[in-house]
Amino acid sequence: MTVTEERAPVRSRSRILPAPVTGQELVLIGVIAVIWAVLAFRTPAFLTAGSIQPLLVATAPIALIGVGMTIVIITGGIDVSVGGAIMVCSVLTAKQLVAGLSAPVAVLLAVVVGGVLGLVNGLLIAYGRVHAIIITFGTANLFLFLGLQLFGSRTVNGIPATFEIFGRGDEGRTLGIPHAFAITVLITALAWWYLRHTAGGRHFYAIGGDAHAARLAGVRVQRRVLLAYLLTGLLVGLGSCFVIAQGTSTLDQSVGTGKELAVIAAVVIGGTSIMGGRGSVLGTLLGALLVQSVTSGVTQLGWSSQLSDLFVGVFIVVAVGTDLLRARTRRTR
Amino acid sequence: MAEQAPRLAMRGISKSFGAVRAIRSAEISIQAGRVHALVGENGAGKSTMIKILSGVEQADTGTIEFDGAPVTIAGTGDAIALGIATVYQEPQLFPELTVSENIFTGREIRKGGRVAWAEQNAKVVELLELLGLPARYATVPVGELSIAAQQQVSIAKSLAGDAKVLILDEPSAILTDAEIEVLFTVVRRLTAAGVAVIYISHRLDELFRIADEVTVMRDGRTIGTFPIGDLDVRRIAELMVGGILSDERPHREIPDGDPVLVLDGLGRAGKFHDVAVEVRAGEIVCLYGLVGSGVSEIAACVYGIDRPTSGRMLLRGRPIAPRSPQQAQRNGIALLPANRKVEGMFSFQSIAFNISAGHLKLLSRLGLLVDRARERSVAQDLIKRLAVRTPHERQPISAMSGGNAQKVVLARQLVERPEVLVLAEPTQGVDVGAKEEIHRIITELAESGTAVLVVTSDLPEALRIADRLLVVRGGTTTVEFGPDATQVDVLAAAAGAVEEDVA
Repeated sequence: MTVTEERAPVRSRSRILPAPVTGQELVLIGVIAVIWAVLAFRTPAFLTAGSIQPLLVATAPIALIGVGMTIVIITGGIDVSVGGAIMVCSVLTAKQLVAGLSAPVAVLLAVVVGGVLGLVNGLLIAYGRVHAIIITFGTANLFLFLGLQLFGSRTVNGIPATFEIFGRGDEGRTLGIPHAFAITVLITALAWWYLRHTAGGRHFYAIGGDAHAARLAGVRVQRRVLLAYLLTGLLVGLGSCFVIAQGTSTLDQSVGTGKELAVIAAVVIGGTSIMGGRGSVLGTLLGALLVQSVTSGVTQLGWSSQLSDLFVGVFIVVAVGTDLLRARTRRTR
Repeated sequence: MAEQAPRLAMRGISKSFGAVRAIRSAEISIQAGRVHALVGENGAGKSTMIKILSGVEQADTGTIEFDGAPVTIAGTGDAIALGIATVYQEPQLFPELTVSENIFTGREIRKGGRVAWAEQNAKVVELLELLGLPARYATVPVGELSIAAQQQVSIAKSLAGDAKVLILDEPSAILTDAEIEVLFTVVRRLTAAGVAVIYISHRLDELFRIADEVTVMRDGRTIGTFPIGDLDVRRIAELMVGGILSDERPHREIPDGDPVLVLDGLGRAGKFHDVAVEVRAGEIVCLYGLVGSGVSEIAACVYGIDRPTSGRMLLRGRPIAPRSPQQAQRNGIALLPANRKVEGMFSFQSIAFNISAGHLKLLSRLGLLVDRARERSVAQDLIKRLAVRTPHERQPISAMSGGNAQKVVLARQLVERPEVLVLAEPTQGVDVGAKEEIHRIITELAESGTAVLVVTSDLPEALRIADRLLVVRGGTTTVEFGPDATQVDVLAAAAGAVEEDVA
């Protein structure tokens, strides 16, 4: 039906959408600020560029892949295969670098390979109708096998400095800002805008809220889900280039190990609901920054590195607990 | 009425799900600008018809014509593109998104690649006003609204597109009378604008206020289409069940004796207070109240879902204070929850499992292994006794219609005859035939000595089965009626027209 056109649009745009930065994200900014302040107080060298820059470089791959993971988790899925996918992309790309491939072509190669792996996950999850955790658990092992086969029980040695533009060194910075981190922030910003302001972006939230209802509303659910895993794969490809750039000239079989958990931790700490339907990539960036700050802080203070696992664990429990409490109070309303 | 091509016509439709023939043969023809009611018992095939029309399922045989031209509806997108909008029984909404976003999901107003929030919002505000909802709802996440408001949002959602056919699947089941009135106003406005409305409801009396034609379905077939003027509630009910309904209410002797279940001055701060109820063995007591009277909160306390803050509950003279439904059951109170989908069923399990859950001790050998053969025979016996419609007892309960699922949940309580049975809204969303069977089972249980407390907001139900009927108003029990109370008296008391003569 058509509605009568007599009413002028009410209220300004700023009030139509929820606040751009959520309360949880403000809390995260506060926590990061406190950690940095404490670190600066204890080790005055911390706030120098020489200390912050490596922190940002180290945050980049986790936060970057976290963008894809955030979208996946918003749709109500999960991808535990990113660790294995990082290994496949890194070893393949590193080998080509050794063979003398140029940086742009190598990045393209990594992204395409990552995209293919993401496509495999996406196709199986969207059309296979099996829960994402089962599918990606399976593909995680598959990717790991593939990665180890590519290594051929040797490390990849003599990787040239082709990717130094993404690295920790002077080549990796412009005006003091590490390129890897700048690219991550840029992609996060694009994703933030996409998720917040486009119909396609909002459909990810609809699917995570109620996939059946989304289908009834005419959302092409399978295509959206496929896209979420494909995007994650593409970002894994780019993230792998950052990983290679951060390493030495040798790449060993430990590459990518446990990265899926680091990425999921960043997403969850960032306030994205593990039950789907709610979340933001800005939170994920902050979550990744927080995890990395804790890790390097523990190192700088000379504490046992196990403590950083403890702190990250506490943050995850608090974040998930907040989410569950929120869902519960809503249900009993 | 049939000179001009109907807006929508379905001919020779059939659909099977595995071994279940949901629709055997259905014909329906809907005119623009009319309200066409589709009625039938649960399981008669109405839901499947709606699913076929809205593109969720595809018919096995048959044709669909839209404005005289044959069409194929292969998916929900096709239906939406034709202008067929459906409001489902359970709101199909996204709790984390705002009302405005929910209404426009799948058909966002786009401007240069992005969603035009301001324009969408302005339209939503108009729609909300049309439905009598506050404009500020537009930016509220749907999960923060009440169920009734969510239902209205789903109606708003269906109106946002240019609907030519609007399907309302039991829209009134969870609405109050005032909200239904608003709904009817909207429906009339839409039909005046030429929209064809397909209206599904179990509340047959309301069809006479809104419907133009009625199509009756029974056992997967359309029995016929009748102008509403040729029908009355009784006639529709008879067409639905395919026989003559008995209105005879056998008079029952209520045995004397001490009360088995007593609520003594029970209260819960802010919800209800000073509730006094006594139920004797073999007696059916109904607590009846309008929505918002506190009647459902009383049930939640007896069930152990909420805790009372004052008063006592006595079972055979012993005070009990159940802290959970499990405890209430251990105390010897059998429960039939109102929200069977959430509280009552193991959806993916078989009927047999659903019946035997909670009685595994009785059904097990040496207290260890479940005796499958015994489980099956008990289930088969109860399926027969309750006239549950299912091909076999291993069918998962999620594949059943509402009325049949409710019978299965009730069957669980009947494996061992309970001493006290508490039912909340036992026939909500259940069709006439199943309702009658459920009432018969409740009466049978009372006759064999069970003390039954029914909490309901369905007045005809209360009048039909109650030996004593207590009216709840303003959070407390007020007037008591005997078995021969009239509908008018009870309703007047519940609405506050009668002096309180029973404290």
